Amino acid sequence: MAQTTQKIKRPKTLYQRFKENSKAQSAATIVMPVLLGVVIVILWQSQALHHLLRTNTFTLPLLTRIGEIFGENLDKIWDNSVATMTVAFVGLLIGSLLGYGVAIFAALCPRVGKGGLTVIGAFASIPVVALAPVMNNWTKDVSDVASVRSMVAKILVVMLIAAANMCLNAYRGLTELKPYAMDLMDTYAAKKRTVFVKLQLPNSVPYIFTALKVSVPSSIITAIVSEYFAEYIIGVGRQIRENIVLAQYPTAWAYIAAACLLGVAAYVVLMIAQSILLRRYH
Amino acid sequence: MVKKVNKIFDHKWASTLLWIIAIIIVWEIAACIVAATKRTPENILPHLYQIVAAIFSPKEVSSGMTAIMIVLTSARATILRSLLGFLLGIAAGFLLALIMKMSGLLEKMLFPYLMLIQLIPVLGLAPIVLSITGDINKSRIIIAAILSFYPVATNTLAGFKSVSRDKYDLMYTYAAKKRTIYTKVLIPSAIPYFFTGTKIAAPMAITASILVDTLQGDGGLGCMLSQSLKHAMSIYVFWLIVFFSAFIGILSTHLMSWIEALISPEKRVIRKAKREDRKMKAAKAPEAAKDYVYDRRARMCSKRRS
Repeated sequence: MAQTTQKIKRPKTLYQRFKENSKAQSAATIVMPVLLGVVIVILWQSQALHHLLRTNTFTLPLLTRIGEIFGENLDKIWDNSVATMTVAFVGLLIGSLLGYGVAIFAALCPRVGKGGLTVIGAFASIPVVALAPVMNNWTKDVSDVASVRSMVAKILVVMLIAAANMCLNAYRGLTELKPYAMDLMDTYAAKKRTVFVKLQLPNSVPYIFTALKVSVPSSIITAIVSEYFAEYIIGVGRQIRENIVLAQYPTAWAYIAAACLLGVAAYVVLMIAQSILLRRYH
Repeated sequence: MVKKVNKIFDHKWASTLLWIIAIIIVWEIAACIVAATKRTPENILPHLYQIVAAIFSPKEVSSGMTAIMIVLTSARATILRSLLGFLLGIAAGFLLALIMKMSGLLEKMLFPYLMLIQLIPVLGLAPIVLSITGDINKSRIIIAAILSFYPVATNTLAGFKSVSRDKYDLMYTYAAKKRTIYTKVLIPSAIPYFFTGTKIAAPMAITASILVDTLQGDGGLGCMLSQSLKHAMSIYVFWLIVFFSAFIGILSTHLMSWIEALISPEKRVIRKAKREDRKMKAAKAPEAAKDYVYDRRARMCSKRRS
């Protein structure tokens, strides 16, 4: 007994106090990443990072220099970003709708549809690098204007990737219902249509966002990669490559920064949309 | 008749086969249309049999190699490099998840960056990595490693976090050491999540490797792909590479599932139970098989404890 009381009385170490204090913990959630960010920026600006990677300020320009170039080329970066985002967004939209359609088909007639899921799921594993040139070849006749037809080709690639993602997740959302929910519908003698609209469709909404969380970043990446193979030179990804070929490394880095910003911005928009839409159901 | 058809479709492979046949039919119809209207149909959409014929054709395409030889030799280079990057990436991802689980402070520090990496188009960084390292092999491995690193890290971390409170409590009543908790509870329960990560990562590593190939001529599938697109060699090399890379992309995901089934203890038990179940069914005693699973699990647990 004496031992335990002694144990309780022992003063807490500073680390323990810190660990048990919820305020300090929530502060650490913000402070620690910022701290790491500051350390990285300092390492970068003081060229310690360059020594570490055995490179020079030419291939890995200082952050201030990248910012400078970014400001100077704002118009061009904006134009290319718009091109990339149009491809990513349109492809994502059509692809997601298509994937959802296939998922509905598979959920309604599982015998035939399930194989479709396997086949479309396989599309997700096909390297973009293999798809992009094929799509380029197929869309040669879509339009006489090079910018339009390479845009269509890029959209098709993004579409396939997004469809594969959406279809697998949406199928799970439509079929993995809460236990007894289907039995309840049976006792109501609900029609198949009612079950679908009232039970399966709402149930799949969170799964749609699970799919989008993966396919929003991946559609941007896909758009950027398929730009490499496109006929018409436009887009953030293509500019990264073109500028590196011309040894314009600071400009290339400015486009990389733009690509990162696009990815983060799209994700933030998705998160906001999710918080608004899911509040209604859950 | 309808019943018979329905019975065939009870098998999953039957409907998969149906879809594959449908795709082949659509492809062939399109190929016929293209062949009738275009001057060089093989550039746009060759017949499937033409592609198959290209595999076996003994005609030399470039520097004394047939089409299939080119594809296979360059595929070996690509796959070996992506495999190395992939292994490095998943090892780093697993270790990072483990470290983040061990130290809450480090987790707080690194987790936002882990999310950020996901949003950065790493493939867009390929040319930059190439110019920093200066070596195409190194940059291929680095890009493949970065790409396979984050799905594994985030998924494994989610696996560590999925361990429920009562399991910790149980371990506490056993007075288990921290190391024991990690080796007996946390790591085994994170393994399925880890494999979910590797299933996403495997095709990404291959994509990365092929993409980096296209940046510089040094063998590899991507390099051959861009060369045959520029008509430096037969266009069928291009089609072979497209199909081959699609094939290895899909195969890599399945390979991960197979490896998972091979090593994960849970799946092993289920498999063994199924085998027993079949035997029992032959002896008309299906109930006993169910007991066997529970019995076997209990025994496994007791073995682990001892």
